Amino acid sequence: MEIRSREYPERSRRGGDVRASVTGATLTFDAHRRAAYAGVAAEEWRHWAEGVKTHLLTHLDRYLEEAEARLEANGAQVHWAGSQEDVHRILSGIVERRGARRAVKGKSMLSEELEVNELLEKRGVDVLETDLGEYILQLLEQPPSHIVGPAIHLSLDEIRRLYHETHGTEPDATPDELAAVSRVILREAFLAADMGITGGNFLVAETGTVALIENEGNIRLTTSAPPVHVALVGIEKLLPRWSDLAVFLQLTARAATGQPVGNYVSMIHGPRTAEDPDGPEEVHVVLVDNGRSDVLADPEAWEALRCVRCGACLNACPVYRQTGGHAYGAVYSGPIGSVLNPGLAGLHAAMPLPFASSLCGACEEACPVRIPIPELLLSWRRRAVEAGMDSRAKAALLKAWTAVATRPGAYRAAGGVLHALPDPVRRVPLPVVGGWREVRADPEPSRTSFRALWREGIE
Amino acid sequence: MREQVLRRVRQALQGRPRAPHPGTLDTGVPDAPAPVEHFADCFRAAGGEVHRFAGADAARRWLHGFAARFASVSHGAGVPASLALPAPEAPPRRAELGVSVARAAAAQSGSLVLSSRDGRRTQLLPPVHVVLVDAATVTATLGEALDACRGDGGSALALHSGPSKSADIGQVMVTGVHGPGRVIAVLLDDWPGP
Ligand code: SF4
Repeated sequence: MEIRSREYPERSRRGGDVRASVTGATLTFDAHRRAAYAGVAAEEWRHWAEGVKTHLLTHLDRYLEEAEARLEANGAQVHWAGSQEDVHRILSGIVERRGARRAVKGKSMLSEELEVNELLEKRGVDVLETDLGEYILQLLEQPPSHIVGPAIHLSLDEIRRLYHETHGTEPDATPDELAAVSRVILREAFLAADMGITGGNFLVAETGTVALIENEGNIRLTTSAPPVHVALVGIEKLLPRWSDLAVFLQLTARAATGQPVGNYVSMIHGPRTAEDPDGPEEVHVVLVDNGRSDVLADPEAWEALRCVRCGACLNACPVYRQTGGHAYGAVYSGPIGSVLNPGLAGLHAAMPLPFASSLCGACEEACPVRIPIPELLLSWRRRAVEAGMDSRAKAALLKAWTAVATRPGAYRAAGGVLHALPDPVRRVPLPVVGGWREVRADPEPSRTSFRALWREGIE
Repeated sequence: MREQVLRRVRQALQGRPRAPHPGTLDTGVPDAPAPVEHFADCFRAAGGEVHRFAGADAARRWLHGFAARFASVSHGAGVPASLALPAPEAPPRRAELGVSVARAAAAQSGSLVLSSRDGRRTQLLPPVHVVLVDAATVTATLGEALDACRGDGGSALALHSGPSKSADIGQVMVTGVHGPGRVIAVLLDDWPGP
């Protein structure tokens, strides 16, 4: 995985209001998550879920084989991919054999990691993102900024302007009107597509079932309408038993959006059977390693593989709330990104992300599988120091600090960053800001990414 | 490649203590309301509509009245003949109304469990979706509902727990984005059979 710091396209900058949008959305998500945890025995569920994932990971070889056998018995085709190149080769093979020209996609962070859209476009396939947020981002040529709400950094006005320019809607169109326009375009795409591509939230080994969570219905359609469905599934996404699935579906939804369960859940065992009136003729499941086995081998970082990509740690994080996801310059942003990217892409490539946190612990408390994110951040920091990477991190962070301390909205968020630094640096006198509250949203977008500062620090 | 990935995983796990599976977690709560009422509350809270009838006759009266507003309907494969709607049948992509049968329902999560055997396009393409539910198949927890559907045949199951919705446009909630904007659960205490 390459860590990219794609710049915001010029288009998104006009009147951009990143911080207000991100702060508002994450505070809402986080409040819903808290209320949803309070409604069930959340502590028991979280301990249990941690246990299931730990069991899964420590028996991963066995469950991968079981999942493969069950999927094949169900009629699905299973592919193994060690790397991004393998995934590209597998997808190219399917595209060629089927003569596919049009693909629809459900939101998938793994497909971002694997640069699937770029590959398909090179192969002459028209790819359309069908999640409303992802569709908007595709029009803007932007990467997602949040695992669950990919476009939370965009305000209604920005989206209105985009649709006005691209689809000719009224400049003051309502969200309902904008959604209706998208529905018509995407409905045609679902029905005309030669293949549907999705990720996979879970893969149940016992039954060979890919489970996908969503709210819009676009994943249901992506996996139901086209004649071919390809699911890209990270090897850490397995669940041992069918009876594990019901709890993970509910816990993930509660952590992500506070819903009791995702509005739609697709549970796919394989291609259309003789008993089904419709559905895809071919189902392909691609089991993707792409660095995950390296993380699994790491005696500390392997705990991050329990992640179910709910985004709760992003919503709880005071730093993420201020910067949004793009500032991290990597596919996985926020606290989980800062511990996962060094493992997947290498510590050097991911610097200074392990330092981009206040270690306040909110992420660990929110996490449905109890990943000790602050501990893992410290582990990466220690390794950075041992490898002599920390002086550059210090320089970059001091710059970041200067940028941030002059803007009150970011003060508290970034304050804890200095805890990472050795004493002489930490004692730099800091400007005191009064009256700033957590919920205050400063209308100015965050201009400098951690990654850009890091680059400046070395180049 | 298969062998390579498995070998890397096995190497990664060398010396790592194996953790046991913690067993099945029962998410049921002792003082939960009766499943059918609880389902209705949760499904409505997510924006769904619920009607409950004693049997086929009462349900049919309501269904016929409701169907009068629609020019065409698409029936799922499992809809009992006695509950079929009088509107002209149309393919799902053109039908104004879809009618399906739930395989089960779960109270705690407010979920209808639908089977691919009933036809997925009928479940997804019409803008309004009526789902007939045998009240005897409503379970307290989602775990029980999925348990009941295990080894069912058919290539896929789905949970529908409310109308299609999205907050991706400026964090404003809109419904009917891709799937049906209205979903109506029609519960029958006495199920008529096929
Ligand atoms: S680390 Fe935990 S809280 Fe963050 S996305 Fe993963 S599962 Fe969710």
